[in-house]
Amino acid sequence: MPIDLEKFKPAYEKWVKESLPDYQAGKMKEIIKKYPFIVSDGVPWTPYKGQPSEQTFALVTSCGFYLKERQPPFDTVSIHGDTSFREIPKTVHQEDLAIAHSHYDHSLAEQDINIIFPIQRFIELEKENIIGKVAETHYSFSYVNDVVTLVTETVPKFISRIKAEGVDVLFLVPV
Amino acid sequence: MGLIQRMAEEAGIPTISMGNVADRMAHIKPPRALFVKFARGSMFGEPGNVKRQRRIILDALDALKTMTEPGTIQELPYQWKRPDPE
Repeated sequence: MPIDLEKFKPAYEKWVKESLPDYQAGKMKEIIKKYPFIVSDGVPWTPYKGQPSEQTFALVTSCGFYLKERQPPFDTVSIHGDTSFREIPKTVHQEDLAIAHSHYDHSLAEQDINIIFPIQRFIELEKENIIGKVAETHYSFSYVNDVVTLVTETVPKFISRIKAEGVDVLFLVPV
Repeated sequence: MGLIQRMAEEAGIPTISMGNVADRMAHIKPPRALFVKFARGSMFGEPGNVKRQRRIILDALDALKTMTEPGTIQELPYQWKRPDPE
């Protein structure tokens, strides 16, 4: 576990109670200042081996993308955020995507998704054999405060998906 | 995002991430990361700067090979609406 859940849970519940009025008033700086960041001391590490030209890459973004015709938007109201993720196909186009994330300015990403999710550049590098393969599926998350559900439910599900897809390397682009 | 990255590394999948807020990265302690001087929501710079987007991905591929210490963060030289260095 990347966080000490026993320590985090009560601190988080207290934070939710105390920060709800500020959250509802949109005082994001205030609530971030009080958020109980508790990350384990060590840094987990898997050594990188091999060559990019022989490997499969998947992208992960936390920009709140979802397929507007086929997937529900993320919850942008709850103080807990939304711990779910959306699967974004390699074949996606700019016009297929919408953004559900209330806490950053989307206007630039709406002009060019590649500044937050550089899928087209990855496909070009695949064609040039600089990378072996762009995975068929990529992953979009949104705003999350409830990291208990995230680390106990969502991420294990996400990791089993990427392992089943044969992903060798993850490239993560947060907002 | 940092927790997702850390759990992927724990599960045996090498990762590289990007960041633009040094304080936040110090809290999150990503296993391997590139630091850029761009605003939130535009980690690869201005929309349509294809050459730079490509270059940052190539930087990431290099970083995968050269970063050998857990928690390494490399700062990239690119600046908003300025030409990239040679």
